[in-house]
Amino acid sequence: MYEDGWIPTICYQCKAECAILARVENGVVKEVKGNPQGRDKACVKGMAGITSLYSSERLKFPMKRVGERGSGKFERISWEEAMGIMEKKLTELHERGEAHKFTYSMFPHSVTDPKWRFVNAAGGFISTGLPHCDSGKIMAMMHTFGCFPNHHIAPMYHTVPKGGLMILSGRHPFGCLDDAAVPKYILDAKERGAKLIVIDPIFRPEAAKADWWIPIKPGGDASLFLGVCHYLLTNDLYDKEFCDKWVREGDMDNLMAYIQDKTPEAMSKICDVPAADIIKLAKMAAEAPSACIDAFKSIMYGNAMDWGHAWCLFLVITGNLDNPGGQPLPEIAPMAPVEPVPPAPDVTELGYHRSGNNREKFDNYNFFLQPTWYAAQAIKDGTLKVFFASECNPALSEMGSGEWRKAVTMKDDNDDYMLELLVVTEIMPSETMKWADLVLPDQTNFERWELLYMPWWYNFGHCAALCQPVVEPIGEARHANRVFIELGQRMFPEYFAFKDDVEYYDIELSGVDMSVKELQENGGIWSPGAVGFRKYEDKGKFDTPSGKIELEWQMYKDIGQDWPSPELPQEYRRGEKDFPFILVNFRTIFLNNTGAWSQNNAQLRDPVSGLDANPCLLNPIDAKKLGVADGDTVTMESSTGSVEIPVMLTERIIPGCAGIIHGFGQTVGKVASRGSWVNDNELIADAGSTLDEQDLRGGEAHVSTRVKIYK
Amino acid sequence: MRQLSIMVDLDRCIGCKTCIVACRNHHNIIDHENDQPGAMANYIRVESKLEGTYPELREDSWVVMCQHCKKVPCAKACEYDAITKDPQTGIVLIDQEKCTGCGECIEKCPYNVIQFNKEDNYAHKCNLCYDRVIHGLTPVCVDVCLTDALSFGEKEILLMQAEARGKKMIKKMSTQSIIYVKNA
Ligand code: SF4
Ligand code: SF4
Ligand code: SF4
Repeated sequence: MYEDGWIPTICYQCKAECAILARVENGVVKEVKGNPQGRDKACVKGMAGITSLYSSERLKFPMKRVGERGSGKFERISWEEAMGIMEKKLTELHERGEAHKFTYSMFPHSVTDPKWRFVNAAGGFISTGLPHCDSGKIMAMMHTFGCFPNHHIAPMYHTVPKGGLMILSGRHPFGCLDDAAVPKYILDAKERGAKLIVIDPIFRPEAAKADWWIPIKPGGDASLFLGVCHYLLTNDLYDKEFCDKWVREGDMDNLMAYIQDKTPEAMSKICDVPAADIIKLAKMAAEAPSACIDAFKSIMYGNAMDWGHAWCLFLVITGNLDNPGGQPLPEIAPMAPVEPVPPAPDVTELGYHRSGNNREKFDNYNFFLQPTWYAAQAIKDGTLKVFFASECNPALSEMGSGEWRKAVTMKDDNDDYMLELLVVTEIMPSETMKWADLVLPDQTNFERWELLYMPWWYNFGHCAALCQPVVEPIGEARHANRVFIELGQRMFPEYFAFKDDVEYYDIELSGVDMSVKELQENGGIWSPGAVGFRKYEDKGKFDTPSGKIELEWQMYKDIGQDWPSPELPQEYRRGEKDFPFILVNFRTIFLNNTGAWSQNNAQLRDPVSGLDANPCLLNPIDAKKLGVADGDTVTMESSTGSVEIPVMLTERIIPGCAGIIHGFGQTVGKVASRGSWVNDNELIADAGSTLDEQDLRGGEAHVSTRVKIYK
Repeated sequence: MRQLSIMVDLDRCIGCKTCIVACRNHHNIIDHENDQPGAMANYIRVESKLEGTYPELREDSWVVMCQHCKKVPCAKACEYDAITKDPQTGIVLIDQEKCTGCGECIEKCPYNVIQFNKEDNYAHKCNLCYDRVIHGLTPVCVDVCLTDALSFGEKEILLMQAEARGKKMIKKMSTQSIIYVKNA
């Protein structure tokens, strides 16, 4: 069944899901490279995917917990028994009228991911496998332009013209959480004469290649760009023609009034970027034929919505919407629905976070996915009873991950766990698996079928790509999609009246006159070709209620959020005296952050080909004040936790910040647990305890806090 | 003598290490099932240099593999004639059959790129993907480089291409057959 040769499939060493070719020889994957029918690139994680596939640490059989939760003691069971356990518990929940107290934390690979379908059929909710790193941006663009942004990947760098500006604000595209072709596209654009501007408190590979590195105080992005907008608007340097035509009537006048006091000088005091540099950036933007912004870290702060809003203002007044080199707007491929479609539960009525003690606080939170971080709180409130997790690692990746671990072991008066069932599907040992009742061995991307179809996803949206098995699966590993289709067929046959995953994808693909087989024959990729620019011109409108760009968020007027606040996120404004440093937790190309399969990959944790250390980066100026030397072990303490960590003195980081890489600190897995590296989430408060720091309209504060450092 | 070569563009290398892992996979120098970090051979490595003090910083990254030296110090050190420079391609090859595992070449290589297989007692290193280039393909590292920082061809031609693109050869780094270039 499995052929030798270069077989197209999809990488899943991170969420970018690049199109790759796998070279198979006698049923064994030998090599990986980018699929030339896709964008021809795969990064180091993709290359190292083979090591995950064949690692002796692969989970091979379903297992059930035998000790207490967290003891890590399991025994092998059959798939039949595993299915029975899940079916019984979900049926019981349903019969109790508590179906909505089931949440599946997953990374959906398409809007019609079969797991998501299962959750809808079961009456539960999904939360993305990771915290909503981008909900602030998504909501900002929905409010302003009426559509989803092309997710993380804002710009199409291959369309940036000579002289265009590529602005990375706390963004790490060389780390390939975008399509692996992006680094090349950025450097190509630079060679064409585009300018790369990198705004980041840490000098990273992007800054090393930038025309201009702007060090900034973390969380200062909103104020920086408001200062830029002030200069453009008050000096008549904005795209008046575009604004006159496309912005809702009255919004420009109100924006002018609002922006009056956001002078570069005033904003400089907040973000620590000199006013002259804010003006220089504004002038560059005014002169450039195009400008785009891509941000990541800053869309995870508590002021993410403010930043998203300021970002939208900048794009609009510079006329950079859906133009070459600007912010692309998505187009959605018309996949066919698999009928009948199970209805999604009513988010406003049933969401577990809304039925809990904090219901009122969430009244403005209208993001359509559950906030992952709220799980610990929901368990304590009794509003989360069954939790499934796939391709995520909440025991490590939750803010206040300690709280999560505590919550899953909490018991009621009858000595029963408050969280009644915790199921994890995993490829490799993970931190979360330690706490699970059921561990289901998952398949790697070399062993499974999957249709990647996320209209707004990294790969420039509006295409579909096929992940197909290229070798026999290891052990009894089964892909989570198959597991939940089978469970769906047992529990909700009306919604699962198709043979298997392949047939499901076939039905979906019929919407674009394709099939799995044709995709296979055509190199694994379907795309209707060019995305097209300025689609709103053809349409004559934006998909907002007014049909125009809505700069003023009138629905938030009563909570004073109709315009963005330039202030730093609350988590950085508080406790400055006791906790003088801002923790900057950044990402690298070598880890899929907390994903157990890249954590446990020997090539990615090898000192030559990967990364095997995570010291605390400190500027020598700070080190001198603290009296610490390179290599000293220090205590890093926040208001909620502390860790011991060696320091590395470096000019790369701005004074006043302490940098560590996000996602280390796993205690299980031979490879992942090497060294005594810490997890940044040990320092970050459990989100349920800091609701005032969350942007409850769609943004979320996570991975951010203040710390103190001492020997 | 014709010299096949790789040109490393420092303006494009981002130090991502994709080339290292691809090379390891292709040349089968890893046991995916059991190898642990810190104990795997590598034919290519990343180096980088950060200069300046905050906030005036510059950083270059580049890769180092066997330089396929002109005068071949490793070959000279080898008493068993296990190392030769192929006259057709200029590629320096280690003959595993002849290699006794004495390790002299490792000592003498100025670039510290020769690997040693302890189990089977032989030296091995980058062969410029001899198996591929003799069939007209590019070396694996060149093929997969994330940013197209590497290019492959005859050294003379690569130098002309560099010139045409306004790149200067970094003389200090390019004493051998792998060339390093940067914007002039
Ligand atoms: S770089 Fe080292 S191994 Fe390669 S030819 Fe020169 S001396 Fe020999
Ligand atoms: S030329 Fe081939 S053997 Fe040499 S470093 Fe590159 S990939 Fe490895
Ligand atoms: S793959 Fe290319 S960019 Fe990455 S380290 Fe190797 S040579 Fe440099």
